[in-house]
Amino acid sequence: MTSNKFNYPDKEGFFGEFGGKFVPETLMYALEELENTYSKLKDDKDFIKEFYSDLSAFVGRPSPLYFAQRLTDKYKSGNIWLKREDLNHTGAHKINNTVGQILLAKHMGKKRIIAETGAGQHGVATATVAARLGLECHIYMGSEDVRRQSLNVYRIKLLGAHVHAVDSGSATLKDALNEAMRDWVSNIDDTYYIIGSVTGPHPYPMIVRDFNSVVGQEVIKQSKDLFNKMPDAIVACVGGGSNAMGIFYPFIEVQETRLIGVEAGGKGVSTGEHAAPLNDGTPGVLHGARSYLMQDEAGQVKDTKSVSAGLDYPGVGPEHSWLKDIGRAEYVAVSDDDALKAFHEVTELEGIMPALETAHAFAYLEPLMKELDSSSNVVINVSGRGDKDINTVAEIDGIEF
Amino acid sequence: MNRLTSTLSNLKANNQKALVAYLVAGDPDMDSTLDLMHLFVESGVDVIEIGVPFTDPIAEGPTIQRAHDRALKNNISLKMILSLVDEFRKSNKETPIVLMGYLNTFISHIDLVQATGKDGIDSILVVDIPGELNLETYGISNPNINTISLISPTTKENRVELIANNSTGFIYYVNLRGVTGSSNLNISEIENNIGRIKKYTDLPTLAGFGIKTTEDAKTLAKFSDGIIIGSSIVEMINEASTTKEFDRIGKYIKDMKIAIS
Ligand SMILES: Cc1ncc(COP(=O)(O)O)c(C=O)c1O
Repeated sequence: MTSNKFNYPDKEGFFGEFGGKFVPETLMYALEELENTYSKLKDDKDFIKEFYSDLSAFVGRPSPLYFAQRLTDKYKSGNIWLKREDLNHTGAHKINNTVGQILLAKHMGKKRIIAETGAGQHGVATATVAARLGLECHIYMGSEDVRRQSLNVYRIKLLGAHVHAVDSGSATLKDALNEAMRDWVSNIDDTYYIIGSVTGPHPYPMIVRDFNSVVGQEVIKQSKDLFNKMPDAIVACVGGGSNAMGIFYPFIEVQETRLIGVEAGGKGVSTGEHAAPLNDGTPGVLHGARSYLMQDEAGQVKDTKSVSAGLDYPGVGPEHSWLKDIGRAEYVAVSDDDALKAFHEVTELEGIMPALETAHAFAYLEPLMKELDSSSNVVINVSGRGDKDINTVAEIDGIEF
Repeated sequence: MNRLTSTLSNLKANNQKALVAYLVAGDPDMDSTLDLMHLFVESGVDVIEIGVPFTDPIAEGPTIQRAHDRALKNNISLKMILSLVDEFRKSNKETPIVLMGYLNTFISHIDLVQATGKDGIDSILVVDIPGELNLETYGISNPNINTISLISPTTKENRVELIANNSTGFIYYVNLRGVTGSSNLNISEIENNIGRIKKYTDLPTLAGFGIKTTEDAKTLAKFSDGIIIGSSIVEMINEASTTKEFDRIGKYIKDMKIAIS
């Protein structure tokens, strides 16, 4: 499925010292089953054909690489290109992964689908593919996120899935993941768990990356067609890290391309109130993998803070931790305020309303473009569209409907 | 010999079954936990299992999750738990103590785990790791402490042996596909699976998860080396969290002990 020579994770599911399978014993058999299924199917011609035909006919791929004229004019120090994942069916990159994983579920004969969601985009993308195959679907979502992403909650329900609001802990994405894992342990025989990011135990970080790496593969081809060389930099927001990993992965060996992941800086990294484990975390074990984590000295996971529900997670996919440590990717953080400013600016300048998650990537153009010259090409991964965030933004701007 | 190992082998030699009781350290507060540990022993508990609170206890059902949350509100850390055990050991040097928790809290305190002497905790059970994972890889090794691995209904036969060989305390058989506090025990499946484990190891095999009534306890004691009760005790602790009148728990444990004798 991927042409990359770059051969991680290893057999045990590690990217260097990150990753692995830290799960209760009951889940081991399900992970093994998934691993075996995936290793058989990933090189199977019929499977690949089915996946790519769904990506084209159902998702609408390939997504354009679009030249952002007015943003480019604003910075005057290089061409800015937008990889338009916001144009995908359901409005974000998340559907690339769910279209792939639902095929795995189908092959494994699973009748019941579960998923966690933060911003609700992964919940919508999962409910969508489950509806398409007529499978029972349960979405776990922190009650705080149910509130701030109410539009997506309703979409998920319209698609026939059940939404379970999770009140425990910080009532956000991490707690939704806890609850999804508990459901999985309890219904292991007939249930397939579609994890929504490059997180969780092996083989999930690998599988979710592979399904999303169609994005990076398209960018390689589109860059050749549109500006006849590889981009100087690719910028993507990082929550769990799936949109970033999907666009980074095919570029790991393309040394001339800088890979820049943007985490949620919340109120500012120095305040401790953020969701930026790669900027301000230490290695630890959460949700099945060892990776950078926001934790205290006692190993307790810290509460996170971000205006964007999809980035509001204390951990990060293990492959990002590894790319950080070997120095192949750079990870920076952008504050809530700067992300909101970018949200408005991009909407007004380009007629494209990005998701608040994506707005973090746009906000990093401000410092980045100062380092580049006018012949350079920068690609922003527009991971999703902002319709879902209208309530949040209106609330912040003091607008009532 | 390790306190846990000798306790379990003495019980076996006398044809008796082990009663293991669980609580979460610091729920409702550390003084109560110490009182409860002594009450456990007076009422017939053979091994005390102390839950180390964690922010994200994915293997726990609502009852024990809430106990973790309450304990974390009291800022309970592994360091405080080890001090609590020291306090307990001032008057009890016999009853084995197992710490049950999540990998991240243990690897954050490897120094403390390594410094534990003979009269401290006796065993560690990490819930969120596969049974064959060797904790020494993560720096958790101490001659005074043994480790307990879990085997579940979904563990394939080829891994049972691997896991059994990796365990030094006892084998913890997880009775059901689910989290702590679930119900619906499938007795014949449990009997079959414990029988299968016994083909591979002489280590005691204890059954836990979902045990609530004296009938459950009596049935499971027939083919296991002992039983572990958690959620029902934690529930009773919570109900008495303001009055601190824990007599009901003592009675419950005594009934359980009679049921398995
Ligand atoms: C539009 C959008 N971008 C980014 C993310 C963050 O996820 P990841 O880092 O896995 O791409 C989300 C998550 O919900 C999202 O909806």
